[in-house]
Amino acid sequence: MSNRSLPRLLQTPAVVLLLLWMLVPLSMTLYFSFIRYVLNSTRRPEWMTPSLSNWRGLGNYEYVLFKTKDFWFAIQNSLLIVGSILILTVVLGLAIAVLINRSFPGRGIVRVLLISPFFVMPAVNAVLWINMILDPVLGLNGLAVAGLNNIIDGLQTFPVIGQFFAMWPDLEPISFRATQTSAYAVIMMVTWQWTPFAVLIFMTSLQSEDESQKEAATLDGANAWSKFRNLTVPHLARPIAIVVMIQSIFHLSLYAEIEIVSRGNGNKNLPYLIGEFTSNNIGAASATGIFAVILANIVAIFLLRMVGKSLMD
Amino acid sequence: MATVTQHSRFGNYFWPVLAWAVALIFFFPIFWMVFTSFKTDADAVKPENLFVFTPTLENYVNMTKDYDYWRFATNSVITSTFATLFALVVGVPAAYAMAFDPSRHTKDVLLWMLSTKMLPAAAVLYPMTFLTKNFLEVFDTHFLVIIVLCLINLPIVIWMLFTYFKEIPKEIIEAGKMDGVSTWGEIKDILIPLAWGGIASTALLTFIFCWNEAYWTVRLTTIDAATLSKLIEGNRAPEGLFFGRLSAVSTAAVAPIIILGWFCQKQLVQGLTFGAVK
Repeated sequence: MSNRSLPRLLQTPAVVLLLLWMLVPLSMTLYFSFIRYVLNSTRRPEWMTPSLSNWRGLGNYEYVLFKTKDFWFAIQNSLLIVGSILILTVVLGLAIAVLINRSFPGRGIVRVLLISPFFVMPAVNAVLWINMILDPVLGLNGLAVAGLNNIIDGLQTFPVIGQFFAMWPDLEPISFRATQTSAYAVIMMVTWQWTPFAVLIFMTSLQSEDESQKEAATLDGANAWSKFRNLTVPHLARPIAIVVMIQSIFHLSLYAEIEIVSRGNGNKNLPYLIGEFTSNNIGAASATGIFAVILANIVAIFLLRMVGKSLMD
Repeated sequence: MATVTQHSRFGNYFWPVLAWAVALIFFFPIFWMVFTSFKTDADAVKPENLFVFTPTLENYVNMTKDYDYWRFATNSVITSTFATLFALVVGVPAAYAMAFDPSRHTKDVLLWMLSTKMLPAAAVLYPMTFLTKNFLEVFDTHFLVIIVLCLINLPIVIWMLFTYFKEIPKEIIEAGKMDGVSTWGEIKDILIPLAWGGIASTALLTFIFCWNEAYWTVRLTTIDAATLSKLIEGNRAPEGLFFGRLSAVSTAAVAPIIILGWFCQKQLVQGLTFGAVK
């Protein structure tokens, strides 16, 4: 065996496995997206087996894009969910990273407490939040609102200020099981889970910041804000970009949380819509899948380019 | 700490207190879950027992009866362990070759591997179901879950190992070559002992990712190979009836992983950002 072929041989299993994993299911999706293929049809039983004679061309894409309202709603909702999570995690992550990037008593414990949500499995995260915390009656949400109402009721019996509180309406707890509010519930729980990720990355990056530069700025009379604005933020530009891109890829395929929080209430994103189509209309599911791949790729290309730059040094 | 800020007396107390407050808020939902797990189902929904109650272990004692917890937990352990091992067996030689004998394609191969990780799983949901159910007949088997978990984590495994292996001076490996050590010997006697820490933390992180995976483990199993994700997902809407026992089973599902996670915070950054943030 020559010296050059051995390394290639060692990589072969990994490359072949990943190639199969990527190509086989994806080419099936591509194929199904061009044919009529349904799981149940009494009227057209011939559509129940995948075959080239059921060729539909771009029909499935057309159907998904123009004949269902779901697709655009799912895209819009995906973007709302991903966008909100990104903004919240980056802002909170930056603030918290700066906050704990100093020495204080118990810093190690603070870090451990902060990182913990990230390791909670998504299914537990969703079940925990939607039931124990956000439930409008039995969750902390409901209990807190009921408690507030009780306090207000109590205050109404006082002289003078009671008149003021008598004008307050009874507070209604928000139910997070409606279409739009359950999207907010998803945003909340995912933000809770992924802010620690942003904190961790920003902290790693803050620790590699050039301290001498900051000291020089201090000597020149720069205040804390202008140091943050002019030195720290540019230093963090790259980690911010990385956090945004990695999270975009993960959250565009968010599934467990949506499934648990909003099964059947109309709140959906692209993966969830694919799941719904998959119960019968495989052609439409596949066309939607191809759109999801395209959407993910738009982000992935930028991310890979950035990762590639830092790869070989 | 070297930061030169004008530490005011106020700031000396305010910022640490704020940091602690934020940390406690973030930890609160987990605390609340553990706290509720010691309440009976009846106590768990009574406002008067919100903080004051008689703690009980009955939810944990009944976990096997109520949820068949150990069966799902065993499945999670089996699938996560073997997926991790299998990913290392495939990943170590590949990363070894890429780190110590790179060709001009190595970078592209690595990036391509990463790109497979970025494909949305939902896009291939039906083909995977179709293949595994009708064609390969491996639906709902440990074998399938292990293979899928291994494949979705393989890119990250190879990446992490690659970055660890790159830190090892090439000369050490080459010295082995001069002495006529076989490739297998190089990996076994030189590389693995030297990179032991890196391999261990890669394994730990992969195990965590496998344990928490919630798309394929839910969609490609029904009963036999169902993991803890599937168990919790199946009990998503207790309508307040079972908050106590649901908290207990959730705690049992996440506690081992949270504790493992505390030990690999540093590796997490590398594993999740593909080495792009240092």
